[in-house]
Amino acid sequence: MAKKLYLENTALKARFEAEKSSFTGSDLAWLNNLRTEAMAQFMAVGIPGPKVEEWKYTNLTFLANENFTALTKSDHKKEAKIYFDKAYIKEIHGPAVVFVNGYLDRTLSIFEGLDEEYFSFFSEQPQNFKNLLENTLGSTSFNHLNRALVTDGYRLVIPENTVLDDIIQIIHIATSAAHMKSFYTRTAIEAGKNAQGQIMESFIGPDHVRYWNHMISDLTLAEGAEMSYVQYQEQGLQAIHMTELHTVVSDAANLKYLTFQLGAELSRTELIHNFVGERADIELRGAYLAQSQQSHDIFTRINHDKPNCDSNQFFRGVLNGGGKSAFQGKVVVGRDAQKTNANQSNKNLLLDRKAEANAKPELLIYADDVKCSHGATIGELDIDQLFYLRARGLDETSAKGLLVEAFISEVFEGWNNEILRQKFRDKAANWLKKR
Amino acid sequence: MLEIRNLHVNVGGQEILKGVNLTIKDGEVHAIMGPNGAGKSTLSYAICGKDGYEVTEGSVTYNGKDILALDPHERAGEGIFLGFQYPVEIPGVSNMNFLRTALNSQRRYRGEKEMAAVDFLKFVRACAKELDMDPEMLKRSVNVGFSGGEKKRNEMVQMAVLNPSFAVLDETDSGLDIDALKIVAEGINRLRASNKSILMITHYQRLLDYVVPDFVHVLAKGKIVKSGNKDLALLLEEKGYVGLGLEENAA
Repeated sequence: MAKKLYLENTALKARFEAEKSSFTGSDLAWLNNLRTEAMAQFMAVGIPGPKVEEWKYTNLTFLANENFTALTKSDHKKEAKIYFDKAYIKEIHGPAVVFVNGYLDRTLSIFEGLDEEYFSFFSEQPQNFKNLLENTLGSTSFNHLNRALVTDGYRLVIPENTVLDDIIQIIHIATSAAHMKSFYTRTAIEAGKNAQGQIMESFIGPDHVRYWNHMISDLTLAEGAEMSYVQYQEQGLQAIHMTELHTVVSDAANLKYLTFQLGAELSRTELIHNFVGERADIELRGAYLAQSQQSHDIFTRINHDKPNCDSNQFFRGVLNGGGKSAFQGKVVVGRDAQKTNANQSNKNLLLDRKAEANAKPELLIYADDVKCSHGATIGELDIDQLFYLRARGLDETSAKGLLVEAFISEVFEGWNNEILRQKFRDKAANWLKKR
Repeated sequence: MLEIRNLHVNVGGQEILKGVNLTIKDGEVHAIMGPNGAGKSTLSYAICGKDGYEVTEGSVTYNGKDILALDPHERAGEGIFLGFQYPVEIPGVSNMNFLRTALNSQRRYRGEKEMAAVDFLKFVRACAKELDMDPEMLKRSVNVGFSGGEKKRNEMVQMAVLNPSFAVLDETDSGLDIDALKIVAEGINRLRASNKSILMITHYQRLLDYVVPDFVHVLAKGKIVKSGNKDLALLLEEKGYVGLGLEENAA
């Protein structure tokens, strides 16, 4: 008998039925119908198994057996505040929108300096998310699951010609109440014509608490819009973390994206980009660091269907102990996408014989006047560099730390914010010492 | 005082040093010369603890301490400095950051207070200036894009900042033009003091015109075969290793 490609988890279906009446917006017929339909679509497909190409490096078999339930609201104010203080970057100042265990937390959020009329939240105004949730184009099974069980999320609409000066910090906190729970958030950022904005999103949570968070973000940039978007993940070492980012980019729009995956037992970052206009430019940067028992999976798709657009991907990873990673990046340059510039680079450093890095760069080109490059390397620390540092007085861990910092920091160099650059650099430098 | 007794070292399963004996007292400058393949670099790596240089017999003590039992960074902390024949490039690590991390690591090892960032900046700039290094080079990645001379000059700046009590200089003079050689010689002479000692490993007599050694030794086939004063170097220069009967074939 052929092995099944997708795996079933009937507990999720049972959970859906049990919680149905207490969902956000359960009084709305359209939303109930949408959830029911989405759950059916998820159940019809299931959880991707190890034979599904897109998931070949990340085995989700455990998800079929573990029973993640919904969160019942509980008192976690004190604990959440501790994580807020850790995650909120004071040097940046500015507003912060805080989600705790998948729900907006208005008391921890800092709305001062935030143009609140630009924001809406699913838990408060679900009707604002109707179009977003109804769009199922290209949905994967987790997409359906997220739509069925969505807890909360934000929608940011930046009107045309509007420039938001402050970096908006979005902080996703999990507390110990999240043990064996899962939550699904949905966010959307829509930048109008020539609008500009900056988002710094961070994910934080306790060690020894197992939970599964899944977030879908939709990013739409109108003509001439400019966005910078950072996702920084430093959750506890038992967390299951999945994000999908779907971007649609119009004429002369510009996206700068950076992800830094440091925590969680398993992280999966999907970045799906579509050019719908010309002369647009996207830059994706990513760094991931994994110790034993951790795995990070980066999955990118860039569809160049329009001419004169640029995409640059720059990913670096360091794997220690039995840490694992995968980079699967595909660039598709369509027939009409002449004068495309598409570059992709993925480099990995293995610090241990048990560490594992997988790289699968793919380039499909159907146009004839394009400049495209891709490259992937997997290597070790240079022993001459290590000895040079040690001979100057650095112990082995510090010497490795300095080389790791240098390797990873290439990802952060050139990022438009010095505070974030320095913060990430420091995190990379101390990574080997801390854990 | 550094004492090397009957030192045997294997590299890749092959015996390179076959019983080296050498005593360097505080304040002395020794030069080791020798033909290619004599084991000169092996001696310097063995003193500083590079992986793959396996000591099979003998001892190396520094101020009475068995340094073969120490990790490379601990040897550095004890005051031993290795000037590299081929200084290593480290992209992404600025010279400044490298030097500060190194100095403070050594200070921590010795139980001293770390140097504050402001004081360090002044100190390292002064060291660079004295050795004619453009302060801009302190901001650049360690040795990346440096010319051969600039790399060697950088070694001298590092030595000045770290201020070791014993320096092993492995062919620090190789590949240098006369101006760069003078800078290197200046760096070495600056370090000379009654409580410091230096071991210079060199292929040519040239450096010894600028840094006059107290003793000259000839290393051949893994052993010190001849010792003398600076005149030995001149004699070598004149007659060659073959002429002195130290080598069967010229290198």
